[in-house]
Amino acid sequence: MNPPGSLRVLEEKEKEHLATPILEPSIHSDNPQERIQARRLRIAARLEARRREALGEPLDGKESAEDQSKSYKQKEESRLKLAKLLLCGTELVTNIQVAADIREVHRRVEEEEIKRHRLEKLENEVKTSQDKFDEITMKWEEGKQKRIPQELWEMLNTQQVHCAGLIEDKNKLISELQQELKTKDDQYVKDLKKQSGDIFLLLERMEEQVKNVMKTFRQELQHIEKAFEVERRELLTSNKKKWEQALQAHSAKELEYLMKRLKKVEDHEKQLNKQRTWDCEEYNTIKMKLEQDVQILEQQLQQMKATYQLNQEKLEYNLQVLKKKDEESTVIKSQQKRKINCLHDVLNNLRSKYNKQVKQLQEENQSLTSDYKRLVMQFKEMQKAMRHFALVDDKQFREIWLMNEEEAKDLISRAFDVDRIIHTHHLGLPWTAPDFWFLKNVGPISQRQRKSATQIVEEVLMEAEEEGAEEAASEPESYLDLPKQVSVKTTRKILMLLCDESGFLVESKLLSLLLPLDKNECYLLKLDAIFSALGIENEDDLYKLVNFFLKYQAHHSPPSQEQTSLISPLERLDPQGEKEGCLVDREPQEKQPPPSPRLIHPNDVLKILEAFVMGLRKPRDLRSPVKLLKAVRDHSKDSEYWKALTTVIPATTLNLWDALYTALEKYHLVLTQRAELLIENSSLERQNTELQQLLQQYLDSKINSELQVPPTQVFRVPTK
Amino acid sequence: MEETQITPSLSVPSWSSVSTHDQSSTAGQDSSTGPQPSKPSVIPPPVKSKGPSSGAGVRRMRRIIAEDAEWSVATVPLLTELCIQHIVKNFQNNPILKQLLPEHQKKVLNHLSPDLPLAVTANLIEDEKYWRRCCTQRWPVCHVDEHGGSWKRMFFELHLENLLRHFIPSTTDPEVILNLLPLCRNYVHTIRVDQFLPPVQLPPPLRGGDQSDSGREGEMEEPATDHYQLGDLVAGLSHLEELDLVYGVKDCGMNFEWNLFLFTYRDCHSLAATVKACHTLKIFRLTRSKVDDDKARILICSLLDHAALEELDLSHNLIGDRGARAAAKLLGHSRLRVLNLANNQVRAPGAQSLAHALAHNSDLVSLNLRLNCIEDEGGQALAHALQTNRCLTTLHLGGNKLSEPTATLLSQVLSINTTLTSVNLSCNHIGLDGGKQLLEGMSDNKTLLEFDLRLSDIAQESEYLIGQALSANREAARQRALSPSHFMSPATAKGPENPAG
Repeated sequence: MNPPGSLRVLEEKEKEHLATPILEPSIHSDNPQERIQARRLRIAARLEARRREALGEPLDGKESAEDQSKSYKQKEESRLKLAKLLLCGTELVTNIQVAADIREVHRRVEEEEIKRHRLEKLENEVKTSQDKFDEITMKWEEGKQKRIPQELWEMLNTQQVHCAGLIEDKNKLISELQQELKTKDDQYVKDLKKQSGDIFLLLERMEEQVKNVMKTFRQELQHIEKAFEVERRELLTSNKKKWEQALQAHSAKELEYLMKRLKKVEDHEKQLNKQRTWDCEEYNTIKMKLEQDVQILEQQLQQMKATYQLNQEKLEYNLQVLKKKDEESTVIKSQQKRKINCLHDVLNNLRSKYNKQVKQLQEENQSLTSDYKRLVMQFKEMQKAMRHFALVDDKQFREIWLMNEEEAKDLISRAFDVDRIIHTHHLGLPWTAPDFWFLKNVGPISQRQRKSATQIVEEVLMEAEEEGAEEAASEPESYLDLPKQVSVKTTRKILMLLCDESGFLVESKLLSLLLPLDKNECYLLKLDAIFSALGIENEDDLYKLVNFFLKYQAHHSPPSQEQTSLISPLERLDPQGEKEGCLVDREPQEKQPPPSPRLIHPNDVLKILEAFVMGLRKPRDLRSPVKLLKAVRDHSKDSEYWKALTTVIPATTLNLWDALYTALEKYHLVLTQRAELLIENSSLERQNTELQQLLQQYLDSKINSELQVPPTQVFRVPTK
Repeated sequence: MEETQITPSLSVPSWSSVSTHDQSSTAGQDSSTGPQPSKPSVIPPPVKSKGPSSGAGVRRMRRIIAEDAEWSVATVPLLTELCIQHIVKNFQNNPILKQLLPEHQKKVLNHLSPDLPLAVTANLIEDEKYWRRCCTQRWPVCHVDEHGGSWKRMFFELHLENLLRHFIPSTTDPEVILNLLPLCRNYVHTIRVDQFLPPVQLPPPLRGGDQSDSGREGEMEEPATDHYQLGDLVAGLSHLEELDLVYGVKDCGMNFEWNLFLFTYRDCHSLAATVKACHTLKIFRLTRSKVDDDKARILICSLLDHAALEELDLSHNLIGDRGARAAAKLLGHSRLRVLNLANNQVRAPGAQSLAHALAHNSDLVSLNLRLNCIEDEGGQALAHALQTNRCLTTLHLGGNKLSEPTATLLSQVLSINTTLTSVNLSCNHIGLDGGKQLLEGMSDNKTLLEFDLRLSDIAQESEYLIGQALSANREAARQRALSPSHFMSPATAKGPENPAG
């Protein structure tokens, strides 16, 4: 019904527009205004179109400059016309809807009016009938009071009449309403018919509008096309004119050029003739010259030919040679190629083999590494176990040792007790307890603890001090573990020297700390620092150092210094003699005060130290693995120890004991005999007493008195 | 050059008797064996190809060969053709399409019959030509433009519409529609149903025309006339954008009964829930369905804050002021662009509430209140609202008993407002003075393109002048729409001339 906002955009070329309306006079329309309006608009549109068409064609033939605007004008006019057409058409079509709307509005208004009337009427009716009904009901009340039947009858009759009137009123109303309904029904049918007519009309109008619009669109298109064509024709004629003018101008110019050209040609011909004669003369002279040249050149050519032949032969020979060589080389090439193939095969084989082997070896390597790792692990575990067992063994060994030792010591002590008793009691000799080293020993014999260098130094210093005080009152025991080859003094002096000379090895802080200390302590701490700097850790290193000093001196000092030379061999001898007994060696050393260190020049100390450090480094490295083996115990001294324990009682005492034993045996025998005799004696004495008692009894008895001769008379009674 | 000519001839013996020749031949030959193996393999092909090619040439020259017994003019169809024919024949049982090459697919689709069951074709075939054939076979008139230009969508929408139109509750199996759902869910964007059949009462309402009316009247008391519930269907359609429903019966003829046109409360509630659950819905039309105030309120209540809804059409119903108030509330709680309440019973209060909402609204583009009864009070309220509103472009107030006061206000609006493009005041009693005032308002307006004042009792002169102003505006709008290029200068020069002439 309502064409959407398509009216806004209207282009001439949109032929297939959905538009619906048409210009048909509104004979079918109901509204006169509408019809008039539609007609007016249509006439105006047609007039305008006609006027434009009439004006447009003559205008087209005029100037070419206006053509552009003419076609545009045509387009614009057509567009406006069509827009108006469409607008009017849609209006015409929608007019029906609008008319229907207004009819509906009017109908609604009327309906409302009628409804209101009807309602009023119904209300009035209800009121009046209610009044009537009330009247009737009132009369019922009255009727009840009536006693006389005639009156009652009368009243009832009037009531009946009233009721009938009421019902009649109602019926009338109902019939009226029904009448109205019927008229409404009729009207509805009429409306339906009218609406269907409207729809039919609408359809017709739409169709016609479509047709008309199509027609006008086509017409307009034709007009526009015509306008364009005229424009084009105009353009063509004007262009043709221009073209002809241009052609004329062109031909005139061409003529001019032709004349000029002819003139030029003549000039050139003249010049050419001149040139030709001149050229001929020149040509002759040159020809003579050139012929001469040709003769000379021919001679040369002959010569060249001869040389050429010679060269050709040579080259041919060379070619032959080269060909042969080429053949040979091809043969060789093929051979080489074959060889290369063979070698390639071999190479490939080898490669594959190599790869295989590499793989194999890799696998092997992997397995071996895994084995190795496993073994290492096992080895570590073994080591751990071994260490553990070594510890346990050590402990056990120690315990067993202690037990045995205790036992042995018990036995020894018993033996000593016995010995003492024997000595004091039996022999009446004073007994001195033997003092053996092994008696003091407790626990398994182990290698002596290595003393740290500083400890030794300390000892050395201490002893040296004592010596200074007591003047060589040496205590041999303390030297048991000291340098077996060097005297204390020597060592001390060397160390003092070292301490003085190599102060640079001590840290400055330490030096400042050392200031307030005792001289000896100062030395000690300094030496400690120096040793740690030099890498001297234990006893041996220290001895090595001292020895090194002495050796160095021996080597470097001239033999003129007898004392040093004397000492050095002595000291060199010492190690051999050390085991026999230190005591023997020591005494001569001490008696000869070793002045050697003093002879070492302080300047040499650094050189010596340097040499020493260089020398020390090497053995140090080698020794480290040896340390591991040190755990292995030295059994050599065990048997000795135990044997010593057994021979704690010397053989002489044993012999003494044996002799004593036999003597005591004998003594024992005598004593036993004596004891026996004593017992015998005592028994005899007892017998004697007993016998005396018996005798006394007899003598004292009464019988005796009765007897004439008492026995007492017979013999002499031993009085007691 | 020589070698190449020799080798083909040499190669034949050299292959057969290489062993014997190799040993005895000269060194020169021996050396040539190295490169030989590679050369023969290259050269033979051209030698071989020459023979057959010359033969084929002869064959090609002669199209008919007398000696060939099997030769016939009829060419044997290609194997692909045969396969395609077979596929077409057995498409129902074994649909093979996607695996084929594009040109074969085209052939298959051209030969498929449009009667194939939808279960096979629905989700498999996208080809528009096939669906076009389906459509044209089923329906004589096909407006594919009304279905987004897609024949497939059109087919499914029309098919579904057809099913819904003929669905009789409690008689037709609802599975018929629900079975179609998985097939059409991706293609249906619009549902347009212009009739919903009520459930069958003992004599079916359509077919049982010969039954007596008295039997039916007894049952009319119990209005068990609920229609098909759209809920399940709409919930399944994932692209549904438009819902155009008419609860009524078409072509009932002499079987007319009032209860054929009942839009029951249950229908209303289920429809409201359906619409609320459909978040893709853009256009909702429920026309000619006797929707009264309460039902309108139920429906609009469910549409409040709907995210996608753009157009609501409740024309040709029985909506009064309360319904109009609900619609006004909806304007504030949605992004509605088009509201159509034509041919309802909206009066002045309803129009006032609508005007109030319109004054604060910035989405509504079109408002249609045709054939209501808002009268001057409502019209004035709307005109006041339009003084502040900046987005309404189309306003239809035809047939609303408006008169001069509204026209005065509207003329003021026209001189201020720059967004309105179309106003319809037809079928109102505006009067001569009102027409003059409107003409004054129009003289200041440059944007209005349509102004319908037919049958509104105004002077022809003012109507004509208003028409001139409108055409000037239209011309200006056309120039604005076209790019402002060289067309501009002649057009503007002519612009003022045309209306004068």
